[in-house]
Amino acid sequence: MIRFENVTKTYKNSTVALRDVSLNVDKGEFVFIVGASGSGKTTFIRLLLREELPDSGRIWEAGRDVVHLPKWRVPYLRRNIGCVFQDFRLLPNKSVFENVAFALEVIGRPKHVVAAQVPQVLELVGLSKKRDNLPGELSGGEQQRVAVARAFVNRPLILLADEPTGNLDPATSQGIMQLLDRINRTGTTVMVATHDEVLVNWMRRRVIELDHGTLVRDQARGVYGIDTASGLAPVGVGPDDEQPPPGTTA
Amino acid sequence: MPTSVDYVVRETASNLWRNRLMTVAAVMTVAVSLSLVGAALLLKQGAAKAEVEWQRGTQVTVWMTPTANATEIKAVGTQLRSLSYVDQPCAFRSHKQDWTEALRLLGTVWREGGTTVAQTPTSWRCTPAQPSDASAVISKFKGQPGVEKVTAPLAQIRTEQKVITVLQWVFIVVAVVLLVSAAVLILNTIRMAIFARRREVSVMKLVGATNWFIRVPFMSEGMIQGLVGSGVAAAVVYALHVVLNDLGTSPGSLLSVMRLSGWEMFGTDAVVVIVGAAIGTLGSAVAIRRFLDV
Repeated sequence: MIRFENVTKTYKNSTVALRDVSLNVDKGEFVFIVGASGSGKTTFIRLLLREELPDSGRIWEAGRDVVHLPKWRVPYLRRNIGCVFQDFRLLPNKSVFENVAFALEVIGRPKHVVAAQVPQVLELVGLSKKRDNLPGELSGGEQQRVAVARAFVNRPLILLADEPTGNLDPATSQGIMQLLDRINRTGTTVMVATHDEVLVNWMRRRVIELDHGTLVRDQARGVYGIDTASGLAPVGVGPDDEQPPPGTTA
Repeated sequence: MPTSVDYVVRETASNLWRNRLMTVAAVMTVAVSLSLVGAALLLKQGAAKAEVEWQRGTQVTVWMTPTANATEIKAVGTQLRSLSYVDQPCAFRSHKQDWTEALRLLGTVWREGGTTVAQTPTSWRCTPAQPSDASAVISKFKGQPGVEKVTAPLAQIRTEQKVITVLQWVFIVVAVVLLVSAAVLILNTIRMAIFARRREVSVMKLVGATNWFIRVPFMSEGMIQGLVGSGVAAAVVYALHVVLNDLGTSPGSLLSVMRLSGWEMFGTDAVVVIVGAAIGTLGSAVAIRRFLDV
């Protein structure tokens, strides 16, 4: 589903954001990208959205060669990728329903599809009752749920989240993670860039760690920090520890 | 392009209303700038008109020798009648008439000069259709039998033409400068409006909107702003036209020779409206370009 081959990205001020990163993410995986601020997590997401192009290396996404994708095809690539950000990026003057519907209207879906799919996804994120509220009238967690609904309403193949819980308290963050987990179980590949240690340890999913742009760790069912030699799970159990996460590869 | 008319209409209407302050600012910018452009265009046409008016009645005089016989006089008259670039008919002035005219113009000096009526030349007085044709009449009759000389106020014509040409150029330059500054002002206003909504644009990009999908509502918005603004400007130009024509009713005044017909005014208005709509539409397209480049 996602494939990086020796990807290097350097910014104009000669900061190396990613250095020779290669990795492979299968369909239906749930992956955390962890690392300190400035480790290249956001660059990773921006490359996947093709907001940036790498200096060298190749990126494959949903069967497309992202680097050589002509500019006019970029919107069609993005229709396969849902995206959630720390700052929600909702339109403040549109209601919850309109914000979610916007994602479908923009890609030219007919009205009846919008009318059918939006309530469905609002139900999924638990905001059916607040469909006519404006984002300003919602809590941070609710706003992020709207953002998740907007990212998912189009049933994308991939869902990217850049610090989705950065502005939320721990309990609300867990709720968002459970939501992402539920979306992941529909077969959607989910990638979450975060430095929220508690959540990563709680979820026990594949962890990719970046350090100054270099991939230093790629671990199935990993934790935030370097795993202890015992390999035991840290305190707290993930949402569904009995079930192995779908598509997990070592 | 899956952009539906319904979507564009809805987005345009709600955007215009939501950003009504910016809409008003853009419309007023267009209105004020294009009013000035329209006024300059109107004055330019007025100046062109004044040239024609001023030189209407420029006369060419074919002076016959005092001794010219009837055949020679008649021959010149026949030739003049056949000229297509001379307003017909040409008037013949007898010895007596020219003598009286000279007396009127020169007074006692003429009388004291002692020229008798018989010694005064007869003349043909003609009005060329175009003042510039005067020199053609001169060269045609100069040196013909019985013709003493041919005169026309050529120097005066040339000076007037020069003044009018300069005046027209001044108005054209003023109109162009105003148009450019109007375009920049409008572009800037639209850019501010779009800058205020860059967040919305970035969200649209994020969820996979094509550039045309984003651009079209902005362009139709710009076009409507341009149309409304230029509509106001067209009304101002019309009002200016009416006022100038009212003021120019006394014959001989500067304004009276600059009077324009309704059609010339409508032509100016059409230019103003088309320019307004084009600037609004293209201005939006240009202004949004850099926000699309993500």
